[in-house]
Amino acid sequence: MDPKLDLLYRLADDQLILGHRNSEWNGLGPILEEDIAFSSMAQDKLGHSLALYTLLHELGEAEPDTVAFTRNAPQFHCCQLVELPIGEYDFSLTRHFLFDHAELLRFEALATSSYEPLAQVARKLRGELKYHALHANTWMKRLGTATEEAIERMQNALNFTLPYALGIFEKTEAEAEIISSGLFIGEDELRSRWLESITKVLSQTALEVPDILALTPVAGGRYGQHTEHLQPLLDEMAEVFRLDPTADW
Amino acid sequence: MIQSHDPRMNRLGLPDAPAPAVAKEALDQFGTYEVFHQKKEGAPFVYVGPVHAPEADVAFLFAKEQFSRRFACTGLWVVPTAAITLTDYVGDTESAYDTLPLLAKSSAAPAPDSRYTDDTAGEEAAYAAGEEDYDIFHLKKRGKAHQHVGKVRASSPADALQVAKAVFGEQRPVVNVWAARSADILRSDDEDRDIWTTTPEKKYRDAISYKVQDRIEKFKAENQ
Repeated sequence: MDPKLDLLYRLADDQLILGHRNSEWNGLGPILEEDIAFSSMAQDKLGHSLALYTLLHELGEAEPDTVAFTRNAPQFHCCQLVELPIGEYDFSLTRHFLFDHAELLRFEALATSSYEPLAQVARKLRGELKYHALHANTWMKRLGTATEEAIERMQNALNFTLPYALGIFEKTEAEAEIISSGLFIGEDELRSRWLESITKVLSQTALEVPDILALTPVAGGRYGQHTEHLQPLLDEMAEVFRLDPTADW
Repeated sequence: MIQSHDPRMNRLGLPDAPAPAVAKEALDQFGTYEVFHQKKEGAPFVYVGPVHAPEADVAFLFAKEQFSRRFACTGLWVVPTAAITLTDYVGDTESAYDTLPLLAKSSAAPAPDSRYTDDTAGEEAAYAAGEEDYDIFHLKKRGKAHQHVGKVRASSPADALQVAKAVFGEQRPVVNVWAARSADILRSDDEDRDIWTTTPEKKYRDAISYKVQDRIEKFKAENQ
């Protein structure tokens, strides 16, 4: 696949699927204010996916709605981390923390991408991601130093989620060209920045951080290999769209 | 189990009847924080409402989405409700400062006081003696919002209101005054202003952006 398309599909699909997943908390959040904040960020993520699908459309791909709502799981390039069900709030917060640190660093790097339309999108949206990371850090530090139950739950969530989070950085065949053409710094470099960034926050908690690079990443998502959870999510997300794909909303 | 049209609800597997309420300990609630926002650079901070939160940093997270998820914003302050000292409320043509207890003459008109002059040495001595900065907010009319008018230095919240009277007391009308110790206010950093860069573009968050009435009329016209 063309390196630009390859990169954009991975980014856009991650944002769409996690945005949809996190929106499932809407109305069910632990307290009203947090419900609104988490839903708002989920909405931001859908907005990010739209900006990226729009770039894809400008490169000749189908309309954003068509791309978002008519593909099936094997055609998605998201990492498996984002498609997992929301579980309990400890997991959703931990996923949010691990994903958004990577996303913020990714957009900061993309701000100087050789592909100017993408660099523009990244410069515009990174402020939103800054808030997302602040939100995640605040909860991680608070719950990671709170009661015994809170610490145990966050520790279990962290242990469960880390191998999936490493799947964010799964490389595709276009990786070498993506780096050499100056599109992006590459997944290895991003992972090393991410590791430093999350470790800085986790070290301020009572949570134990395993040797992350020794873990086996849950990979495959970038090549269309997904968990059993993605297709039902797509069916649910596209249910209304598919009733009448030509409807004018 | 409750059956809903919302698949998320069905996944929760909720029983038909809610579980009986569990008696909770008294005060098993978060405290409240009062939130002020700034609409554009240089504009005064204006009160927008409260949030519940366990600590100031969480209050800030909540306030950002509660009160600045629509329309432009360049700054946000949160302060514990309990940290605000206020005057009585008065009528729309009066001054709340008139309700403050009158001070004895000697202290009401203090001799050269660094609070009103550029006396740096006096200032340092005052801080060393335990005086602190307070932010002062005025409500100009009932039903409107409190607005930041400036800072004063004082030895207590009650003293802050008295100093504010000396500094801002000529402004009228002032229906109500709030004083908050500056150290109790959590403020957004100027360098983090970009968290609001895209807010004004999020038209999809405003009901007015959905041209529902147009569509309804078009539908009616087509189906008559």
